[in-house]
Amino acid sequence: MDPLIRKIVTMTEDVVAELGRPVDRITRRAVAAAVIRNPWHGRGYVADLQPEVRDVAPCLARALTGRLIDALGGADRVEAFGKAAIVGVDGETEHGSALIHTPYFGDVLRDAVDGTSIIAFAEQRAAPGAPLTVPLWHKTASATRSHYQTVEIRVGDAPRPDEIVVIAAASSGSRPNARIGDRTTDSAVEITELEGATP
Amino acid sequence: MNVRKIVTFVEEIHSEGGNAVRPAARTAVVLAVIENPWAGEGFVDDLAPLIDKVAPELGALLAPRVVEALGAPVEAYGKAAIVGLDGEIEHGSALIHTLKFGDHFRTAANATTLLPAVEKRAPAGTVFDIPLKHVTDATTRSHHQTVEARVADAPRADEIVVGLAAAAQGRPQARLAPLSSEQ
Repeated sequence: MDPLIRKIVTMTEDVVAELGRPVDRITRRAVAAAVIRNPWHGRGYVADLQPEVRDVAPCLARALTGRLIDALGGADRVEAFGKAAIVGVDGETEHGSALIHTPYFGDVLRDAVDGTSIIAFAEQRAAPGAPLTVPLWHKTASATRSHYQTVEIRVGDAPRPDEIVVIAAASSGSRPNARIGDRTTDSAVEITELEGATP
Repeated sequence: MNVRKIVTFVEEIHSEGGNAVRPAARTAVVLAVIENPWAGEGFVDDLAPLIDKVAPELGALLAPRVVEALGAPVEAYGKAAIVGLDGEIEHGSALIHTLKFGDHFRTAANATTLLPAVEKRAPAGTVFDIPLKHVTDATTRSHHQTVEARVADAPRADEIVVGLAAAAQGRPQARLAPLSSEQ
């Protein structure tokens, strides 16, 4: 049988300047993506996805988390995290959800970076080369507005119809020049005030 | 030189054509998104002054990063310049087709051959392929390969994406007869 993992792609992005001025703090975002054989391919509708999830998800989570931690320079540098799956067109989106939305995947990522939040996520079914925007939020305080951010991943030749791209992402800080306050600093707004607002 | 961001890609191929690749085949790309040094100046006849200033800075920025990202001795390499829509392709060529840029990579990779290159003008988010050849013998057929890259929000019209690419080996499962066998 084919090996489970065809390839692993790791991308990092350091934003140094925005609109021509240096950012207040350089944040590194990293995404790691494993292209795997869809373990349910060719079997029609499978009612119980759990056995393959148990076999496959923890090793994927470890492989991806290790690369994120290396890319950011240590588990303590991870401030925000996210996860995602892109299912090849012959699979069910549920196959991707199965691999990322269980403790077999999420707990490995969360524990490795001392997180407590649920992990922000995205999933889709798509042809090879489709870009996916992965949402991230704070690893222990998911409502921290400065850390709401996204990072894009794209693998040119994946997922094939019988493959899944399984993704984990992390950021070392907030958005560059984050300056929209937080729920603690928002002024009180009544919904009736918003109803009359026009551009 | 005004850098907006630096993007790094590392690809590990663990299986190809259904066969395991051991050790995994590694390639790395590092891209810097910079302001086009000639933006807003109209047609500039003499590009040399800014080549002398910017090309060495880019080489010094990118070469150590791509070698570190690869994490293995460099066996094949290449370079890229993607110019935003308001610039000339000549602006990108100016920055990468000079020893002041390439020698940083050659030294870091113990390389001697010419660096294969891609130059194009394109909107932000364009997909481009960087050709790679062997670092000391450009006729080594097993090492002819390409790596794909893309930055979703670059280059803006007044920017240039400049990049270096490296591979730790030839193509996975390379099995073509050497060039010499046909001569």
